[in-house]
Formats: sequence, C-alpha cells, structure tokens
Amino acid sequence: MEDFIYFFTFQDPSITWVVLGITLLGIGSAYVGTFSFLDKKALLGDAISHAVLPGICLGFALAGEKDPRYIVTGAFLSGALATFLSSWLKKNTKLSEDSIIASILSIFFGIGIVFLTVLQKSGNPEIAGLNSFIFGNAIGIAEADLLVYGGLSLTIILVLSLFLKEFRLMVFDPNFGQAIGFPIQGIRFVFNVLMILAVVIGIQAIGVVLMAALLITPAAAARFWTNRLSTLLFLAGLFSVISGIMGTYISFVLPKMPTGPWVVVFLSLIALLSFLVAPKSGLLPRMLSRRRYVKQMHRDHLMKALYKAKEAQQEQMSLEEIHALYPFHRSNILASLQQLLRQGFVAQQDQSISLTAKGVSDAMRIVRLHRLWELYLNEFLHIAPDHVHESAEQMEHLLTPELEAMLEQRLNYPTLDPHQVTIPREAHDR
Amino acid sequence: MITHVSQPVLEVHDLTVSYEQHPVLWNVDLSLPAGKLIGILGPNGAGKSTLIKSIMGLITPTSGYVKIFDKALPEVRSRISYVPQRESVDWNFPASVLDVVVMGTYGKLGLFRRPGKKEIQVAQNALEQVGMTPFASRQIAELSGGQQQRVFIARALAQQADLYLMDEPFAGVDMATETAIFQLLQDMAAAGKTVLVVHHDIHSAMNFFDWVIMLNLHLVASGPKEQVVTEELLRKTYGGKLNLLTQVTDLIRKQDFNPLKR
Repeated sequence: MEDFIYFFTFQDPSITWVVLGITLLGIGSAYVGTFSFLDKKALLGDAISHAVLPGICLGFALAGEKDPRYIVTGAFLSGALATFLSSWLKKNTKLSEDSIIASILSIFFGIGIVFLTVLQKSGNPEIAGLNSFIFGNAIGIAEADLLVYGGLSLTIILVLSLFLKEFRLMVFDPNFGQAIGFPIQGIRFVFNVLMILAVVIGIQAIGVVLMAALLITPAAAARFWTNRLSTLLFLAGLFSVISGIMGTYISFVLPKMPTGPWVVVFLSLIALLSFLVAPKSGLLPRMLSRRRYVKQMHRDHLMKALYKAKEAQQEQMSLEEIHALYPFHRSNILASLQQLLRQGFVAQQDQSISLTAKGVSDAMRIVRLHRLWELYLNEFLHIAPDHVHESAEQMEHLLTPELEAMLEQRLNYPTLDPHQVTIPREAHDR
Repeated sequence: MITHVSQPVLEVHDLTVSYEQHPVLWNVDLSLPAGKLIGILGPNGAGKSTLIKSIMGLITPTSGYVKIFDKALPEVRSRISYVPQRESVDWNFPASVLDVVVMGTYGKLGLFRRPGKKEIQVAQNALEQVGMTPFASRQIAELSGGQQQRVFIARALAQQADLYLMDEPFAGVDMATETAIFQLLQDMAAAGKTVLVVHHDIHSAMNFFDWVIMLNLHLVASGPKEQVVTEELLRKTYGGKLNLLTQVTDLIRKQDFNPLKR
C-alpha cells in the first residue's frame, strides 16, 4: 500500500517521467494499432516487433553500449527491412500473406536471438541491459532514453492526427482514394513508417516479444464498446495507457518483474471484460437478453394455455393440467406462475389457476398475434395452414404493437385464422 | 458496330489491359458523347470493371491510352467521379453514413485540410438526392445492401463532377430502388453530365440507357441503344466465350512473360 501511494502520488520525479513516457507510448501505439487493426494487418505488427531484435543487437554492437540513438536506428532499419521484404515477397511470389509474415517473424527473431547470444558471450558488462529488450523494463529506462522514446511517440500522435482523413480513406476505400488523386501508396508508406516507429518506441518498456499486444489489443477491446472511429481511438488510447501504467507499477514494486508481460496481463483483463460486459456485443448482455426472451416465452405460453382453456369454456386450470401441457418445463412454468401471480395477471385458488380481467386482455393479445401471424404466412407467403404454427410460436413473443397494427391493416382486420378459429379482440376494438 | 463521335467526353484509344500474365481486354477503341446515360454490358469476366478501372487509372494498361475531356486523367481528375463495387470495402468499418459521403469532398479538399461546414452541407445535399437523409448518422454496418449502394452514389454526387463512372451500382438493389436511382441518373444526364454504368440486367438496360457499350474481352459494340441492341450483337456479347481468344489467353498465361507488354 505504501508503494502504491508512493508510486501514484508521483513524489519521485523519475516515476513521473516514466509514467509520462508510458502514457505517450501507450497513446501512440494504440493509435497506430487501431488503424492496422481496422486494416486487418494485425499480424504485420507482430512480425515487425519480432523483426527489430537483430537491429537492436547490431546497434548495441556498433555503439558498444546501450546508446538509445544507435538502438532505435538499428531497430527501425531492421523493422523497415522486414516490412519491405514482406510486401516484396507478396508482390513477387505466389506465397500467401500469412506464410510470408510467419516466415519473416521467425527468421528475423531467430537471427536476433543468435546475435543476442553472441553478444552475451562477448563479456561486455553492459550486456545485462540488453536482455530487457526481450520482455521490457519500463522502470529501468534512463531519463535521456525517455526523451527519445517520448519524442518519437509524440511525433506519431501528431502525424496521425494530421493525416486522420487520409488514413481513414486508406483503410476504408483505398481504390476510391486513388481515384480522387490521393497518393495512397505514399500514405501507406507513411503509415508503415509510423507502425515501425510505434514498435520501436515500445521495445525498451514493453519488449519486442509482446509489443504487438500493445498495438492490437487496445483496439480490439475498444471495438466492443463503440462504432465510431473517434471514440474507438480514444478508448484504445485509454486502455493502453491504463495497462501501461499498471504494468510499470508492478515493475516498480517487484523490481525483477519485466513490464511487458504485466502490461499484457492488464490489457487482456480489459479485453476480457469488454468481451463479457460490453453493451449489445458483449457475451453477458447477449446471454441476459436471450434469457429474458426464454422467460417471456414461458410466460406467454402459460397465458395462452389459460386463455385457450377459457375459450373452451373452462374458466380454471389445475396445476397438473398445466404441467401436462409443458412436461419438460416444469420449473420454468412454476417460476412464470409466481411472477404472473405477483403482477396480478392470474389468480390462484387452492390448486387451480384462472386469468384475472387484466390477464385475459394480455393473453388475448398473445393469442391474437399468434393467429394474425399464421394468417399472414398463409395469405401472403402461401404457406400451408398446417405449416404455420411453428413460426407463429416464435413470432408471438417478438411482434411489436407497430407490427401488429401493420398486420391488422394488411390483412384488413380479419376475424378468422387459417384454422378457422376466431382471432380475439377487445370488445371496443371489434 | 462501333460508333465514334467528334469532341468526345471520353476517348479510349486502342487499350489493351493485362492482369499479371494474361490479357483481359483486347484493343478497346471507343469514344463517348456528353450528356448521355451510358451502359457497359457484357457477361461475367468480360472486362467491364477492368475497363472502368483503367479509365480511372487504377490499373496501368499494357498499351493504349485514355483521354477525358481531351486531356490526360491527372489534369481533369476533379471532374470525374468514381463509384467502386460495393463489395470492395469492409462495411464493418466504424463510420457513419455521413462520414462516408463526406469522403466525396476529399478530392477537392486535397491533403491535410479537414472537411468543414461547407463539405458537410454538400454531403447532406447528396444524401437528400438519393433519399438517405434519415440515415445520415446511422452506422454503415447497419445498412442493407441497397442502402449501402445509395450511400456510394451519394458519395459520388458529393464529388460534384461532370463524368461519373459507376461499377455495378445496381448489384443487390431491389426493383423500386433501381428505378429511383435510374431516374436520378437520367436527370443528371439531362443536366449535361455523362454517366457511365457497368450493368448486368439487359432488360432494364433497354429501358434506361441512351448509349450502350458491349464487351466480351474485346469491344463488340458501342453506339446509340437503338442501333446497338440487336439480336446478332447480343449473341456476339453473351453467346459464350470466344473460343479462340480464350485459348490464346491461356497460351499467354503459360508463358513466363507477357508478349503484349512492351
């Protein structure tokens, strides 16, 4: 708890710097990532982030120490080479895009690991810092390095904001963009540069292995919540920053902990949460609405059974009779019954159930919808009378009053359904 | 049966187009008059979309050239409007109907400048013309196929061009919408605009177009509808693949290079 307060009150200027850096980095990579996510180029980001490792090692070998300028340049060049190679291969061979990306990723990363092992054997005392590039260590970043990474992040954010209209067109409809004379190839080139830069800025804080997660996961999680590009960018940035800061905090409390994996853990939590609870598209709301529908269905069926008994001059039904009609839904029917009793749609006397006045009116509505739909299917879609019942069983729970009015009008307020049974209406509507 | 016109809006000169190794359009040579509603007809794989894309500069031809308003494409680009096939984009992209239609004004805006009040007004007018005003703030993913098609046409209208090139704007559109859109296109032609439409249905083509281009890997016909839509030419266009041309194409495909490329 003390650590928590110490960290989040920013008493330590170096923590303030790191958090500021992580914030910029998070926004920058989430922005770029959102576009590549929408462009369905998520894997390319993964390939690039693995492919920068050889460049990092060469940069280190050339400088002989962890100089951010050498390392960033090396990482950028090797990422650029990987990007160029993948588009060249796609253009000039018959290989599919996924195999090209998988090959580039593993080949570059393999070479990177070889370089890293060679460097480790060289006995250079500075080498310990190089290991943090694999999984990242945000707390270990020196202030001078932060300026480089933060500056690059800021550049990414600025360029993306400036070119928002152009990138939107590049992703949504590049052919149209080209047709109206936009240099789509050039815009794509700028975008690729930004993408490589977004990977490069994350290598020290997040690490090459997991950087792709920071590019793509925020956008994927945010997509559950919104259909607007501006909101999508904002949410992706927010998710990314939250996870980035939390990951950094863990690295601060437990100094041996690498930042990258923890950032990914928090990102995954946010993504999982979005997947579960986001309104409309989330798993939970969808399950709930499904359950509401099933409940409504059982309730309607019970009401219908009571109404049909009433039509046959039987004012009451015993519980046994009701259960006999729906033998597999005993507990559901009981639950519906309790609810209907509470709401005053039905009344219970000993073991027999009857509809109240309010109940009759509502049950009549359900039966009416059922029979109207049957008639509609029969008259307009020419479906035989013995085939219309199943569909009406589904539709009677869904039809809105507006649709009911449309059906009535279209069918010219009919009196009989296809089975020659009366379509019931309230006395004043008849 | 190829009718040439003097002072054409669009001149396609001896155009041959190849995809990678094999030619898909052979020596197309035609010229089109202004202020007409023009249909491009032909069977699947006849090269209809390829012709439009080559005119729009999206595909580099193997040989030949295109002149629009007697100039090269880059000089007159702002006067041309293009409607790609509906399936060519991902309609799950997070954008509203208005967002997409505003893209029609991007060409005049150029790079960097953002659309403002004026551009939104232009887009709203375009939406009104295609009867989509109530859908302006709707997400494009929620639209039906016909509505998506109308959004694309509205975007083309927002370009305020003189020549319109439309790739299958009636694919997946119901009859009522088709008639309404054709009415709109006829009004545009009457106002002096030239509208070029890739089209499938020969029946509605007979009713609506002034001028018809028939393609089947090569140019079969180009001229006023009354002169061109004859049984003989229709048979030439739709009556199966041209055996010899297809075999030559296959032969070229088997080579490692395209002999037509210079």
